[in-house]
Amino acid sequence: MSIGDVQINHAPGALVARLTGEVDMSNAEDLGASVIGATPSGVRGVVLDLSEVEYLDSAGIYVIHGMRASLQARGQVLVLVIPESSPVHDALRLSGAKQPGEVVDDLDGAMLALEASALGDA
Amino acid sequence: MAEPRATRTHRFKLGPGQVALESAEPISEAPEQVRSSYRFSDPALSEMPLDRLLDALLDRVQEALEVDTVAVLLLDEEAQQLVARAAKGIEEEVERGVRIPIGRGFAGRIAAERVAIFVADVDHADIRNPILREKGIRSLLGVPLIVEGHLIGVMHVGSRKPRMFGPNDLAVLQLAAARAAPAIERASLSARLEHEHTVSVTLQRSLLPKRVGNFVGVAVASRYLPAREEVGGDWYDVFELPRGRVGLVIGDVVGHGVAAASLMGRLRTALHSYAIESHGPGRTLELVDRFAHSLGEPAMATAAYAVFDPYSSSVQYATAGHLPPVVIGSSGVRIFEVTPAPPLGAFPYSRCPEHEFVLRDDEILFLYTDGLVERRGVPLSEGIETLARAVESAVSPEEACQAAVADLVPLEGLRDDVAIVALQSTPVPAELHLRLPAEPKTLVQVRRILRRWLVARGGGEGDVAEVTIAVSEACANAIEHAYSPAPASFELHAWGENGDITVAVRDEGQWRAPRGENRGRGLSIIASAMDEVKVDRLANGTEVVMRRRLSHQ
Repeated sequence: MSIGDVQINHAPGALVARLTGEVDMSNAEDLGASVIGATPSGVRGVVLDLSEVEYLDSAGIYVIHGMRASLQARGQVLVLVIPESSPVHDALRLSGAKQPGEVVDDLDGAMLALEASALGDA
Repeated sequence: MAEPRATRTHRFKLGPGQVALESAEPISEAPEQVRSSYRFSDPALSEMPLDRLLDALLDRVQEALEVDTVAVLLLDEEAQQLVARAAKGIEEEVERGVRIPIGRGFAGRIAAERVAIFVADVDHADIRNPILREKGIRSLLGVPLIVEGHLIGVMHVGSRKPRMFGPNDLAVLQLAAARAAPAIERASLSARLEHEHTVSVTLQRSLLPKRVGNFVGVAVASRYLPAREEVGGDWYDVFELPRGRVGLVIGDVVGHGVAAASLMGRLRTALHSYAIESHGPGRTLELVDRFAHSLGEPAMATAAYAVFDPYSSSVQYATAGHLPPVVIGSSGVRIFEVTPAPPLGAFPYSRCPEHEFVLRDDEILFLYTDGLVERRGVPLSEGIETLARAVESAVSPEEACQAAVADLVPLEGLRDDVAIVALQSTPVPAELHLRLPAEPKTLVQVRRILRRWLVARGGGEGDVAEVTIAVSEACANAIEHAYSPAPASFELHAWGENGDITVAVRDEGQWRAPRGENRGRGLSIIASAMDEVKVDRLANGTEVVMRRRLSHQ
């Protein structure tokens, strides 16, 4: 079976990509590319929902940084949903790297963060 | 004006005018040739398979009538055509697969009108089959093959010399046809059944998993045994689920033959699809039940689905009308009896409750279909007891399958097909010594093996998560180093005592400075997750040795 997956939904002004399963060097790049490829130019940004990710390592962090850079180049923002208990925090903490984007607890928080970024621009 | 062709094509003339004879009519006055043709009623004919039967029959007709050619064409009902099936003297007819439309030409008209037809001279008749002319046939006599009022084909004989076939010839041919038709019908029916059996066995086999095994922490064995005469719709399945869990399925479609085997394939696929969507066993079976109801044709099956978690040794289990699983342990065999939900496809919106039990390391979960335990005149519970006794001393899934088949499958074969699938959690070794292919997809396996090992060493949740990510990063480095075009591998060793564990990852590639931010970040992760990290550049590769004191948290 494939160890990870992505589901993409369109919300008003945003693309919501929900990653599930495990993310490592075997699938990180493909998952990232499919999210960026699905993002319409008209949206404010992408919400990357990592709530159901069971494992993520440096390959995943690398791809998330890459996604943020691609979106930034198009004037779009990346918001990450990582709940308190998520194993994704382990990887971020252990790597000592800076957060690859704004991190919120849940989807509501993500939508608020997107709106705030729109106001910030205005 | 030219003479109409039909005048030279006679309905068989027994006197003045045209007389059509039904081939099934009894011959009252047996002429000499007929008396000598006891050969057509040889009981051996009725026992022969179709090809040999036709071969023998045609020989006998050819000999009795002293004709150059004999042919049998059988009706293809769907196409409304006659298909050349056997021939003597004009074998090309069969080789070229000659097909004659009903109602057209010589044989076609015999079939359409169900009468014997005599053609004195093919040059003046409507002959559709070019082979007859090519072979220089001048005169033809043909009769329909009829069984219980149904046309099944045509038999005809031919002569290279012009020949006036007479009433005696017709009587012989009709007798041969009357004897042959039921035998042909029987033989082609059994050939069809044989074909269907082969098709459904092949289908069945193609629908079952090609191999099972290679699950981390779990040993699996399975069997599928077709019934002696007819396949059924039994199946088993084993698949990997998220978080290293393993799904185990057993099922039995109601009915037999190709239809049952094909329904089995659909249900098996549906179950697997719902299962990987992370539905539990109960909900998965409920969804397959809804799927069975949506097929628009009767579709009923019993099935059981178990999800085994090798980390917690727990089994989640649900059953839709299926027989209870047997759990074989070192201290005896138990039969896991729960009230089953109704079979799949039986009642609308039926509920399928979920059950949970622990499968200890020494225990084997054994799922099977009723063909294994059902014997005529013996209560089912007794059959299950017999099974329990047969497998009680098995110490592995493979042994359990062997013992069950040896003791319960009769020598003369099975009346119903049988599927078996058995699972056992494998013991966690004290030390890990693994050689692994240097491919990205190895990483998930490494993490599964390592998580189980860490739990067995007493690692807490935090230990397991952090050591797993560190080791996975080290293995990712080893995989990146392996740049040779030949299949490369790397080694993983893990050992530990008194709550102190060490993991070494050794590759045979050239050491490369970490490329870019990504691998650099990987090394940071290793360094922060482990208490001590040592990177040794060896002559023929690189070794990363990582040590950590387990916090048990």
